[in-house]
Amino acid sequence: MSAVLDVVRAEVFKTLRKRRVYVLAALYWVLLPALALLVGRLIYVNTRGTFVEEGVPLADLMQALFSPHGLATIALTGPAYASPTPYIIGVALLAALFIGEERGQNMWKTVLVVQPNRSAVLTGKLIVTMGTLLVLMVGAFLSAILFGTIGTSFLPTNLSGDWGGLLGLYLWQWAHLLAPTLLAFLLVFLVRSAVLGIVLVLIAPGLLEGIYSVLNTLFSLQPITRFNAVFQALRLQRVWDELPRYFFTTNLYAPGRSPATSLVNEFISEIDQADMGPFSQLLGSGLTLGHSSLVMAGYTVLFGLLLFWVFRRRDVD
Amino acid sequence: MNAITATELTKRYGSKAAVAGATFGIEQGEIVGFLGPNGAGKTTTLRMLAGLVRPTSGTCRVLGDGVPGPSLREVGTMIEEPSFYPYMTGRSNLRHAARLHGDVPDSRVEEVLEFVRLQDAAEKRVRAYSQGMRQRLALARALLWRPKVLLLDEPTNGLDPAGIAEVRESLRRVAHDGATVLVSSHILAEIEKLVDRILAIEAGRIVFDGPLKDLVARAAEQAVTYTISARDQAALLTALEDLGYVPNARGGGEVEVSVPADDAEFLIERLTTKGVRVLSASKEEDDLEDAYLRLIDPSRRPS
Repeated sequence: MSAVLDVVRAEVFKTLRKRRVYVLAALYWVLLPALALLVGRLIYVNTRGTFVEEGVPLADLMQALFSPHGLATIALTGPAYASPTPYIIGVALLAALFIGEERGQNMWKTVLVVQPNRSAVLTGKLIVTMGTLLVLMVGAFLSAILFGTIGTSFLPTNLSGDWGGLLGLYLWQWAHLLAPTLLAFLLVFLVRSAVLGIVLVLIAPGLLEGIYSVLNTLFSLQPITRFNAVFQALRLQRVWDELPRYFFTTNLYAPGRSPATSLVNEFISEIDQADMGPFSQLLGSGLTLGHSSLVMAGYTVLFGLLLFWVFRRRDVD
Repeated sequence: MNAITATELTKRYGSKAAVAGATFGIEQGEIVGFLGPNGAGKTTTLRMLAGLVRPTSGTCRVLGDGVPGPSLREVGTMIEEPSFYPYMTGRSNLRHAARLHGDVPDSRVEEVLEFVRLQDAAEKRVRAYSQGMRQRLALARALLWRPKVLLLDEPTNGLDPAGIAEVRESLRRVAHDGATVLVSSHILAEIEKLVDRILAIEAGRIVFDGPLKDLVARAAEQAVTYTISARDQAALLTALEDLGYVPNARGGGEVEVSVPADDAEFLIERLTTKGVRVLSASKEEDDLEDAYLRLIDPSRRPS
């Protein structure tokens, strides 16, 4: 355990001297809420007193999106919808910093001689990576509150909201980021290149899902052909249909995306989610957070075992 | 007790053996020179001893423990090019290493900086360091936790003569304090001044393991180097080539040639028989470089 603590102290020492972390934090903590606030102000100024207000209760919309609670929600939900998501970008950049940099600077031979306990090195690096992600997310939460509070001076918003629930979702989303962090560490370490590793981290999680979507669109195991009949006979149709419930990205962002479902329900409740096609999946319909967490726990175990096995055995050039 | 023991240590990359069945032992407090041409397997052997590379077969032990094992915490290394986090200062790099290793107070960082005479440059970022400064900083890092075993790969690379002498003196002091040092270097004159014993490796195999004087003596037993002068240098060269030797022409009509020790006493007689009028012939003393080159390069061995 003391070896892990030694690694944690060393990695924190290194992290505080790395400019990339501060840039990432500034983008997440300042740019996102400032832009959201600007958009809120534009919407408010341009739609107040117009016909739009007759259809949509503008004050409610402002409160839901641009109040302190709304901005904090956006800081959680927004990154889960971009493509690639800022979450995975953050994870890839941090993996490149904590695992890729040692390769780039030819430092593995130094690090693993100074601290030969490889499991401790890996565990310490994971702890610091997850700690950095937590600091970034909590910082985004607090920064959104700050910007939202400033927004109350020129928007019809206030500080009310389900703060406990939202903070819980932040922590839940943070916990889900352990699996992609392990995957990113594994990929960056395996390909021995931080740049290629980052690209793979951005592409790999969605790759299988993309292939599935293409196959599903093209064939969908329907109609029953000679080829598809085999799958039908093996009762694989149901498995095929159920696959998306176990996809990595669908479940990874479930906590972050869940407030969006509530927002959609609040403002366009008359739309049946079943009619929303692919959007229903994006909104996380049909997936409970418990289910998503179990799936992510499975991915965590899988990637974790692979990573530790590879890291402990691999020769260092 | 041996501080380092390698038994049938082998590392293969595909079908090529980088190290093939290396067996040796190094006692506590010994300074051993590790010699071999580029690609002979020196760095791979050092990497296996440091736990960075897993042997394909065979074992190595450091301070009684198998590698990898807890004793690696007592090992300091400089393997190949020294590497650092370039955006950190020299002092920060050492503090990072001190934290990573644990049990190393910041005061020790200042001690080793002073030891390698880098106090004045300690607050410079490492990217601004010269090769020599990086080399000294790497040595400081290797000494940070007072290791009982030092594995050093070309530690004097990039150092000026004064720096080389300083490193040599530092290593002597470290060994005097009881540390075991295994050091590879291409600068044989430095090795000669520093070590008591030589391990020579060629094509992955240990080809010599013993005291420095034995290597030189063995070389002298194998061959004798003469500097010969004759009235006609061209005739002398031709005659030596006819006798199957590889002579080197020098200035002043002199020729240097290595001949098998058994042939030495008949050399002048044979040259005379071939009509060469020898003016003088003097026997050269072999140094480590001659002995080493003869050991690793068969073409330098007299036929």
